[in-house]
Amino acid sequence: MFKDVSFGQYYPANSPVHKLDARIKLILTLVYIIGIFFVKSYFGFMLTAALLLLIIFSARLPMASVLRSVRGILLLVVLTAIINLFMIKDGDVLVEWKIFVITKNGVHTTIKMILRLVLLISGASLLALTTTPVELADGLESLMKPLALIKVPVRDIAMIMSIALRFIPTLFDETNKIVSAQKARGASLDTGNIFARIKALVPVLVPLFVSSFRRADELAFAMDARCYNATDKRTKMKRSKIKFSDVLAALVVLSFFTVILLERYYFPSVGINIDAMIFGGLL
Amino acid sequence: MQAVEIKNLSFVYSKGTPNEKLALDNIDLSIEEGSFVALIGATGSGKSTLIQHLNGLIKPQDKKRSSVIVNGKSATDKKTLKTLRFEVGMVFQYPEYQLFADTVEKDIAFGPKNMKLASDEVSRRVKRAMETVGLDYAEFAERSPFDLSGGEKRRVAIAGVIAMEPKILVLDEPVAGLDPAGRAELLALIKTLQKQVSPTVILVSHNMDDVAALADRVVALKDGRIVADGTPKQVFADRALIKDIGLDLPTAARIADRLAERSIELDKDIITMAELKAALLSLFGKAEQQVDGNDESQASDGTREEPTGENSSLQSKANAENNIDGGDVKVVKYEGNTGGDADV
Amino acid sequence: MAFIEIKGVSYVYPIREGVSLKAVKNLSLSIEAGEFVALTGMNGSGKSTLAKLLNGLFKPSEGEIMIDGVSTADEDHIFDIRRKVGMVFQNPDNQTVATLIEDDVAFGPENLGLPREEIVQRVNFALEAVGMSEYRTREAAKLSGGQKQRVAIAGVLAMRPDVLILDEATSMLDPAGREEVLDVVRQLNSQGITVINITHNMEEAALAKRVIVMRKGRLAIDGTPSQVFSSSLLQACGLTLPPAAALAKELKESGVDIGAVTTEESFAEGICKLLK
Repeated sequence: MFKDVSFGQYYPANSPVHKLDARIKLILTLVYIIGIFFVKSYFGFMLTAALLLLIIFSARLPMASVLRSVRGILLLVVLTAIINLFMIKDGDVLVEWKIFVITKNGVHTTIKMILRLVLLISGASLLALTTTPVELADGLESLMKPLALIKVPVRDIAMIMSIALRFIPTLFDETNKIVSAQKARGASLDTGNIFARIKALVPVLVPLFVSSFRRADELAFAMDARCYNATDKRTKMKRSKIKFSDVLAALVVLSFFTVILLERYYFPSVGINIDAMIFGGLL
Repeated sequence: MQAVEIKNLSFVYSKGTPNEKLALDNIDLSIEEGSFVALIGATGSGKSTLIQHLNGLIKPQDKKRSSVIVNGKSATDKKTLKTLRFEVGMVFQYPEYQLFADTVEKDIAFGPKNMKLASDEVSRRVKRAMETVGLDYAEFAERSPFDLSGGEKRRVAIAGVIAMEPKILVLDEPVAGLDPAGRAELLALIKTLQKQVSPTVILVSHNMDDVAALADRVVALKDGRIVADGTPKQVFADRALIKDIGLDLPTAARIADRLAERSIELDKDIITMAELKAALLSLFGKAEQQVDGNDESQASDGTREEPTGENSSLQSKANAENNIDGGDVKVVKYEGNTGGDADV
Repeated sequence: MAFIEIKGVSYVYPIREGVSLKAVKNLSLSIEAGEFVALTGMNGSGKSTLAKLLNGLFKPSEGEIMIDGVSTADEDHIFDIRRKVGMVFQNPDNQTVATLIEDDVAFGPENLGLPREEIVQRVNFALEAVGMSEYRTREAAKLSGGQKQRVAIAGVLAMRPDVLILDEATSMLDPAGREEVLDVVRQLNSQGITVINITHNMEEAALAKRVIVMRKGRLAIDGTPSQVFSSSLLQACGLTLPPAAALAKELKESGVDIGAVTTEESFAEGICKLLK
């Protein structure tokens, strides 16, 4: 009945970003995240935001879907902001009341920190929004392949990931069924204190475990019946080829990264000047 | 009195997402106390969503327009919800998958305990429920439900529901996955349950033979709407509709249709094997042997060879099984080339 | 020699320390290539155990099973046997390993280490054979029961098997899903694949050309559907006749003999003949 509930954040759309190779997306997301930590000026943040908007636009994602992921860390952002705001005491004092001191430096650091967090989370969520869990798992497997040289069981890890992904909707469905059945027998799962609630979960967890073991057993037979482990040279049907669009995306993100680095280490005056032009006396 | 009164009930899954699906579309349905209603429809027609409204597992989305009244109580009212859960016993598909306790007795007692009944009342109900479903208390009470056979597990699960002594019993595909003997026993049990425990029964089933044999009213759903409502004879008479819903006819009706294609016209409204038998016997000029009414209609129904009316017959079945054990069964072979000596 | 030769096979299930169950007892029979066999019996009769013995998931405790001349106990050829004897299980949800349908169908050929082009070809062929081509990039979890079982059959077909065993593969399906699956199976049998359908649905058993009934781990009845349905042992095996055959039997007892009936069609034929 809840078959249509999709897990994860994947937002289905037919866009060039969705079609990018998952491995490229994984790497570029990493590059983007590292890039953000080198950003220091407001100019840098604007550049990052522009890149983000460009991706959101080409991925045909509604703004709301990206903001939803930011909402999840709202509390974290607010808390860190408050701590930052009052902890930084150097620079021109703007407000002073009892032990609370707010400095100009503190305000800027706080704003930049908020920007950094929001841009970071939005960027990372773009990966989840435009890539199915299966593609992610396949991409990870492919990227982990070199680890097989140091005896990491990449193939088994990949199989475990793939099966876990496959069974999430099934177990979700199963849990719902068991909860319904026990509620129909008068179980109250959402009242009482924490201990009462944990105790109330037993009639749900026991059948869930029993059925998961049964499923695992049957799945093992089904996999053996289909010659799992027949050979060490297991092949794969899908080969992901790097396309022109993947190269293009890589170029865009890498140039962003380069600009950020250049601005930070070689031409810091560019950022300072542009910031001053925009914000004038506020700085 | 009406056991169930549903008005203007609609339900949408995953509202506001690309996966939005209308599961119920403006359902009006009243079910009279004491009736045996079969709810039929293809998979995904909304049967499960509908029945889960009866005990508030799913609440009406539009509380102003829709109303679900069960036993005179509103299923939307938080205060009456708990009592409603106990008045509507719900046996889901494969109910043995909800067993959890370490003994049969504890599992069956789960519902009555949630009702906050006194402990002697709880144990009275457990014993009665076990007796009703044909599980010997002395033999089964202390055993782990996980060590039982499939058929026994299912009976434990059903006992766990009827131990709440619900006024309405809802069964979703109760015989799915059982072997022929298990099916026959359970179908007979359902009639017993109606007589002894829950006067109103709602059966969800894909097996039209069972529906024809058991129900006195059939409600058919398609795409969340009620498309037919009447006696089994009335509903199955509309061949085009049954086909359109994507369901089968009862075997007897299918055979009657095959005969009609060969220009052998029988009564149009034959739906049970007993009726088909009577019609064929009269066609061949043989009067049906005189037997006492009720039981015979069940016995001659092909899907239920053993007319297990009451508990005693479960007993007799067990005896029959023992008899077989006593005497050897011989292997009969019809093909010469199978080789080997497979005698028993 | 028949394609499947079962010679004096017994199988003992270890349940726990010191307790075991003899699920199959001294069973001998053979099945020729291309046959359509229904294997039936009540729950616990040993029919599912026999299925797992046939492709080497279980090894006989006694006796021997030969598949195309090779013993299932021969570890060197075990994957060859599993490839030849494909199996579809009861629960549609517990036999798909991948989220996407085409990936699941590719699982077997990938395990065999086939070249990529060959896998693609086989997946296309298998999905086509079960009529699921248009669903290839969908998620398995979103299919109906009948569709899931057809995908499972495709997963077996992609290994190019000689034998297809259905281990109660239709028992959790609705009538429409059951029909879908049986249609596919009939078609495969007509193309030469040996089918062993394990079922306790007697209407389904009636569709096979040969019915084997097991009781308490032993072979009880073996013959054509009409021979098996007229056997006096059927009830002792915990089985009931399909409705049409049951009614024919009752009519005969009332003095109307319409001959051997296995299906609804043969019932109608029988009535027709008697009237003429």
